[in-house]
Amino acid sequence: MKPASFEYLRPESVAEAVATLDLYGGTARILAGGQSLVPMLGMRLMRPGAVIDINGLGEELGRIEARGSETTIGALVRYSEAETSPVIAERLPLLGTAIRHIGDRQVRNRGTLGGAIAQSDPTGEVALVALTLGATVLVTGPGGERELAADGFFVGSYANTLGPEEMITGVRFGVVPSRSAFFERGRKHNDFAVLSLAVVATPESDGTWHDVRIGMGGMNDTPVLARAAAERLEGARWDEAALAEAATLALRDADPPEDVRASAEYRAHLLPIHLGRLLAGLAKEPRHG
Amino acid sequence: MSGSVATERRTGVLGSSVPRKEDDRLLQGDGRFTDDVEPARSLHMAVGRCPFPRARIESIDVEAAAAMPGVHQVLTGVDIVARTEPIGVLRPVPGAVQLPFYALAEEFCVFEGQPVVSVVADSRQIAEDAVEAIWIDYEPLAHVTDTLAALEPDAPVIHPDRMESNLLASNPQHRGDAEAVLRDADVVVGDSFQIGRVAPLPMEPRAVVAEWRPGARELTAHVATQVPHLVRMQLAESLRLDEGEVRVITGDVGGGFGLKLGLYPEELLACRHAMDLRRAVKWVEDRLEHFRASTHARESVHEFRIGADADGTFVAMTDLYTTDLGGQNSGFGSAQLSSIVFTGPYRVEDGAVERRVAVTNKTPVGAYRGYGQPEVNLARETLIDRLARRLGRDPYELRLQNLLGADELPWRNAAGALYDSGDYAQCLRMVAEAIDYERLRAAGRGPGEDGRYRGVGFTCFVERTGYASAKFLANRGSRYGAHESVTLRANRSGGIDLYTGVSTFGQSNETAFAQICAEVHGIDFDAIRVHAGDTGATPLNTGAFASRTLIAGSGAVREAAQELRDKTLRIAAGQLSVEVEDLEVVDGAVVSRTDPDKRVTLADLHRAAIIGQGLPADEQPGLEATAHFEPTDAAYAYGSAAAVVAVDAETGEFEIERFVLAHDSGRIVNPGAVEGQVRGALAQGFGAALTEELRYEPQSGQLVNGTMLDYFVPTASDLPAVELLHTEVPSPVTPFGVRGVGETGTIPPGAAIANAICDALAEYGVEISSLPITPELVWRAIRKAGNGGESREG
Ligand SMILES: Cc1cc2nc3c(=O)[nH]c(=O)nc-3n(C[C@H](O)[C@H](O)[C@H](O)COP(=O)(O)OP(=O)(O)OC[C@H]3O[C@@H](n4cnc5c(N)ncnc54)[C@H](O)[C@@H]3O)c2cc1C
Repeated sequence: MKPASFEYLRPESVAEAVATLDLYGGTARILAGGQSLVPMLGMRLMRPGAVIDINGLGEELGRIEARGSETTIGALVRYSEAETSPVIAERLPLLGTAIRHIGDRQVRNRGTLGGAIAQSDPTGEVALVALTLGATVLVTGPGGERELAADGFFVGSYANTLGPEEMITGVRFGVVPSRSAFFERGRKHNDFAVLSLAVVATPESDGTWHDVRIGMGGMNDTPVLARAAAERLEGARWDEAALAEAATLALRDADPPEDVRASAEYRAHLLPIHLGRLLAGLAKEPRHG
Repeated sequence: MSGSVATERRTGVLGSSVPRKEDDRLLQGDGRFTDDVEPARSLHMAVGRCPFPRARIESIDVEAAAAMPGVHQVLTGVDIVARTEPIGVLRPVPGAVQLPFYALAEEFCVFEGQPVVSVVADSRQIAEDAVEAIWIDYEPLAHVTDTLAALEPDAPVIHPDRMESNLLASNPQHRGDAEAVLRDADVVVGDSFQIGRVAPLPMEPRAVVAEWRPGARELTAHVATQVPHLVRMQLAESLRLDEGEVRVITGDVGGGFGLKLGLYPEELLACRHAMDLRRAVKWVEDRLEHFRASTHARESVHEFRIGADADGTFVAMTDLYTTDLGGQNSGFGSAQLSSIVFTGPYRVEDGAVERRVAVTNKTPVGAYRGYGQPEVNLARETLIDRLARRLGRDPYELRLQNLLGADELPWRNAAGALYDSGDYAQCLRMVAEAIDYERLRAAGRGPGEDGRYRGVGFTCFVERTGYASAKFLANRGSRYGAHESVTLRANRSGGIDLYTGVSTFGQSNETAFAQICAEVHGIDFDAIRVHAGDTGATPLNTGAFASRTLIAGSGAVREAAQELRDKTLRIAAGQLSVEVEDLEVVDGAVVSRTDPDKRVTLADLHRAAIIGQGLPADEQPGLEATAHFEPTDAAYAYGSAAAVVAVDAETGEFEIERFVLAHDSGRIVNPGAVEGQVRGALAQGFGAALTEELRYEPQSGQLVNGTMLDYFVPTASDLPAVELLHTEVPSPVTPFGVRGVGETGTIPPGAAIANAICDALAEYGVEISSLPITPELVWRAIRKAGNGGESREG
């Protein structure tokens, strides 16, 4: 488990990092927390021409910024920092909750939010939350900066629309609905999810719910939105019948994989049950807060 | 409730939780593991492995690899077959044909991961680059990975040169006429139980550093192993050396669990390279290799039946089981102890058990903590619960009715095992009381307020610890004995050096041996220094496995300590002019009981003996004793466990709310060490019961989850809280009344949890017949029961 040989480079700015990516014509890889990249190098599943270590770019990429209604998280922000950040606790509680389901403490001390989005694991918690909250992925490449909606960014298992010479600099969140809930089930504590669910919505005083978005992890080769289910609940009262219908409608957007963690059939069986329970729990919570 | 303590306690170190001798160095980062050994100018080895479950090697082209800068040597199977002997099997399958195997495959490969080429280079990186540059043409051959499918008439025969089918051997044993008794029994329950294949997964993988000094004709092999003296024998045989030319040193070993028993191909290869190159060669297994090249365990199918009278009395048990050997032998081969304990702690006169061993195209199977006992326990104990449901009886009461009473021991079971002593029912009562079984039963199964069903599961077991005798082993063709050997040597600081071939891999043997030595001799525990695992310095012994170390080792330490003490007192008696009977060892000195002013320090006595000055006229110089001890019989540890489980009947998800184990390991030398052993083994038991399973895809024959990413070994966060209770009934067949304890915890989790889940879901008629018990498995069992799933009870 020793990597094939590679060049190791440690740029001093994002501009230099991007120039280096360009220089290697797409064969170089960014090294952030290394929690996914290093094992892949060791197993020789990846043989990059160069490894570009961005860990020295904390100034440019390591900040959590709240500006107006927007919250921007730098690509190099570690899971542990996000987990304990008061800004995230206040503005993006769903993200804070979801991150606690990632790996173990050591992994969260090293792993970064930018790395998680770049990795695009179909069960990744950060990708699921970014999709559910309609976040924007901030990207820099030889051609300048780009902003990519999370919805559409994840295009397959470990695949996204990032160009080989581009890098992620951060992820930006807008205003989020007032209520959220998160659920995850894995084969062992904080393992990659068999099923993960993220729900956000805003209840109105007339008893109806709005801005409903439901994200599902482990139910497809990318995190996906349960659009049909969300539609059923949008502007509706969340009575038992509505919740039951929505829970079943979620299956329309699911095409669960079959792997060592669970069969497709079992994942499909779990989805409506756990989504139904998650929604019921959210509906039952007191209206304020 | 506290267990009845049937032994009186001397004050002193024996029986107390003294801190482990091993911990000072390990906690300070001063342990010395094989990978820490760095001889000057070391080279590094990498191994190329067969990617197919079964294949014929058509050609190997090593030219490019051999020419790479930094590459020193490439070996292939042709070289190895010419220049080494096949690796010997320590514990052959009784009645089996020999399946000799070499360290590298010559023409035929029989499992994915089998070593095919080895390369030595300046660094591991370069060696791995070179392995990639070796071009091997394989012709994939028809393979079979499923245990029972391998025994079907249409299965490809994996060793056609030596076998006509894939059935390596079958070993039947019986007492009475179980078939006839079953025919006449009022009720018979039976089923087929599938036990998943697991990896023992020590934290330290295997490792070797080999050095050869041709002028001295000495091969020094640092090997992470449980049996240094046996590895020495195997290395000498395979390398065509005299044993005197081979020295094996273990240092600290980071876990063994049965996996590190005996010689593996890579260790032999490193030695062969070192001898050719006259340079030190190091190989440390990585985790990817470990999952394919270190032995697996447990996989078996048990066809178990229990017959009973209408009043619940067990009348017969049978178990026809098939274990999976993998593609070829390992040092120990597949588990053999299901046979010996198949009837468990119950009063069963008529019984028949047959072990069949199937060869499949998978990684070879070896010993693993429990060695057949957890497997058969699942089968027997889940069937007892089904029998209880059939008869409308409480499973707890049914067990109490059939457990052997303390006054019925010693008892010879249907497989010939002699259970020495114990109070089996007491452990069962203790766990029932601990969980307040009566109250739980009265509360009903649910669903409770949280919508979940609650169930209770019990299991009772015996555990064979140690070996019956060298004779017992000889009848089975084993190439080792049943004894342990210890040398004690006085030193000039007033301490004792204790030399043992039992290597140190987490079982606390250094501490336990020193405790016994201190107890018998009277010297301070801290003045004893244990030197373990170097064949150049320690007496020839057997090794650490089968929960046997203390059973045999305590006798050897006792005898040697007694001899050393006797001579020390005789010398002191001469110097102090008192009778030996008047003397005792206290605080590092020999002191007169009647006149405490008459004392001489151990340091002075040791010096006198070592230089031969100031000795009584008839005493020889020197103060050293070696003792060999073989226990008269194996000792049977035992216990009972209870699990309380809450089950979600919609999803199959469940939670273990309580798990209580009461066990007896005989006289306890160190309670802290015993608790550590039991908890560690329980963790492995929960892993095999709940999450761990190596899965092979039948079409491709590939191991699909051979990484830490996809193999679900539990972490501390995954384990349920465990409550431990002990009794302490001394064994009459061992020194001090000890029983082994290393494997106990692996046995009960599967059965207790399966029974608890089925109890919770009794109204659905759910049955569990395999491990691991995943939520998905429970969901499928619920669904099958709901569909009126055909019951296989006969
Ligand atoms: C034991 C363990 C458990 C884990 N459990 C989970 C889990 O439960 N859930 C989960 O989601 N993940 C889990 N992970 C993966 C972990 O979250 C990874 O750290 C994360 O997916 C990648 O972040 P990183 O900073 O470590 O990225 P790296 O490993 O450094 O990089 C990962 C990939 O992203 C690329 N990359 C990194 N940063 C950028 C960037 N700024 N721009 C462009 N490309 C970039 C790299 O080139 C590489 O291809 C686990 C990992 C381990 C070791």
